[in-house]
Amino acid sequence: MAKQPSLTQSMSELHTWAGLVLGWVLFAIFLTGTLAVFDKELNWWMQPELRVTGQTQAEAVQVAEDWLRANHAGASAWNIGLPSERGPDLSVSAGEQRRGERTYLDASTGELVEPRDTAGGSFFFRFHYTLHMGRDLGVWIVGLAAMAMLVAIISGIIIHKKIFKDFFTFRPGKGQRSWLDGHNASAVLLLPFHLMITYTGLVIFFLIYMPAASDALYNGDRQAMFRDLRPGAEQHQPQQGQQGQGQAERGERTQMAERGERSGQGEHVEQATRGEAPARGEGRAPRTVEAPPAQMLPLASFIALGEAHYGAGMLSSVSVSNPDRANAQVEVRPMLGSRIELTKGESMAFNANTGEVTRVSDPSRPTLLTQKVMAGLHFAQFGGYPMRWLYFICGLISCAMIASGLVLYTVKRRRQAKVSATWLRQADWINTTVVAGLMVACVAMLWANRLLPVELAERSEWEQRVFFGSWLLALLHARVRTPARAWIEQLAAAGLLLLTLPLLDRALSASAADVLRLSVDATSAACGVLLLWASWRVARQPAAAERAAPRKAPKPAKPRPEPAGAQS
Amino acid sequence: MSVVLFFLGLVLAYAGMLGLCLAMDRHWKQLASGLKPGWQRICRPLGWLLLALSLLVAWQIWPPAMAPVGWLGMLSLGGISLLFLLPYQPRLALWLPLAGAPLLLVAGVLG
Repeated sequence: MAKQPSLTQSMSELHTWAGLVLGWVLFAIFLTGTLAVFDKELNWWMQPELRVTGQTQAEAVQVAEDWLRANHAGASAWNIGLPSERGPDLSVSAGEQRRGERTYLDASTGELVEPRDTAGGSFFFRFHYTLHMGRDLGVWIVGLAAMAMLVAIISGIIIHKKIFKDFFTFRPGKGQRSWLDGHNASAVLLLPFHLMITYTGLVIFFLIYMPAASDALYNGDRQAMFRDLRPGAEQHQPQQGQQGQGQAERGERTQMAERGERSGQGEHVEQATRGEAPARGEGRAPRTVEAPPAQMLPLASFIALGEAHYGAGMLSSVSVSNPDRANAQVEVRPMLGSRIELTKGESMAFNANTGEVTRVSDPSRPTLLTQKVMAGLHFAQFGGYPMRWLYFICGLISCAMIASGLVLYTVKRRRQAKVSATWLRQADWINTTVVAGLMVACVAMLWANRLLPVELAERSEWEQRVFFGSWLLALLHARVRTPARAWIEQLAAAGLLLLTLPLLDRALSASAADVLRLSVDATSAACGVLLLWASWRVARQPAAAERAAPRKAPKPAKPRPEPAGAQS
Repeated sequence: MSVVLFFLGLVLAYAGMLGLCLAMDRHWKQLASGLKPGWQRICRPLGWLLLALSLLVAWQIWPPAMAPVGWLGMLSLGGISLLFLLPYQPRLALWLPLAGAPLLLVAGVLG
């Protein structure tokens, strides 16, 4: 009992500093991560030239096949990205698949479509784990922040004295008390989410953060480890062929998002994890000797075959190696999300001329499966839109939880004489810049996506410059304004920009409104209203704090807190 | 269909959380001081029952392995909604679960 206060005290200190210093980084990670839940929807929104044609995947693949045969008859391979619920565009490429070399087709007419160059929602995804600092430094800083988050969660639980008693307690309009209530309750009620998302985030990069065990076990030979992780690898098999190695690499690659997707976003991390460039097109027949021409089955027929295995509507892409030749092979790849396990790189291969199955991916081995399930939990590709929305809203609440902790720091310190005013001033403007400024920057990028000229060179880079430029502006603004004004104005700016984003979209978009675009618009408007409300609350807050201050003596538990809460 | 179930699951999770909340004296006084105190005793078991029901609903929406993940998310959202309704709209907080009744009806008709 005697030791209790000192433990609580030291944990409190730990919580404060881990939470404050890395909380600034954590807020940026959580906000962009939350946006990345809808990365493909944002990608779609940011390319208004693309439109929904309503073709089925079988019809679309037929259009793509005709186009490829007409334009790339002799190519070594054809790759087709299928329209799906989250990204209704049809894209094709010929030869070895490379990022940025895909062509977009109108799925109904087969005409070329040229969408604008954009950073897209993938920008938020990449920023989420690299902070735009490059793969090495960024991933390490994010890892450090995630560790700090775990520390903050655990120490937070220790210093929270009344977890169950205060489970549903929130008393608004009382300054520091309210911030603490909100911080505590949002942390406790979402504890499963916080723990899960932080821990699984770390597990994704297990090879970067904790390579010692596997490197010791395999003498640093990563390839040997991947061979052992490969599905069906029972024992050490001394001489593995190229094919086997390719599959092992594929297993490793499952850590990141879907292969063959428009942004190719997974590749950065793959390389970071493996420290080398991935070999593309493994598993396809080597193209040394050209086999004689042959009549392939229509590609549309493989959609049904693939769906029979992966489930209806679950395919993401189709590729053909040696098209229209005797050794032609068709590969279909599923979308992520038919189960929790992150199944990136999984595919099923057919003989293109007979339709017979030549390869089905085996289930992952338990060790790898564990890691892939955790990665899958983090990526939230499973469970469809209901799950996606849960992750999105939980993510937003996490952001609010972190932000309230940051604000709480300054609110609490302001009342203590011992803290230097200079330091408090610094903490204030950093808080504002990190929380409100980042939100302004994110919306500004969406605005730039519509306002920058379509033909602008380096257009996606310019979008990012607008993002960082407005963040910098927010920083300068936060430095010259008083803390309260800075908060009010930046929250209002972000809120207004979000609220009017649908108008901009409708005014400047050539495309007809479709469900995805309208959903992005509606979500943006809703978030805008929320931020304007927050700004309005902050504007009223000083008065509320003064009102609360005189009746300092906390009410005993007996009187109803209801009227106090209702009036504020 | 799964949209209806999704909201049904959310409402049940909310109602379950409300049950657990009312079982605490502080919140009982805040929300339901007019009701007979005897009712308070069934709040906790009823709350747990409703939470269990929302898990069953989650199993209807998602495959077995995914359902607990979604369920925990629904619990969190139910709890958070209650948390913010309590001080601002205590009456609404108490009566909101009734919104579940029409949902239940729709789900029953469709399913």
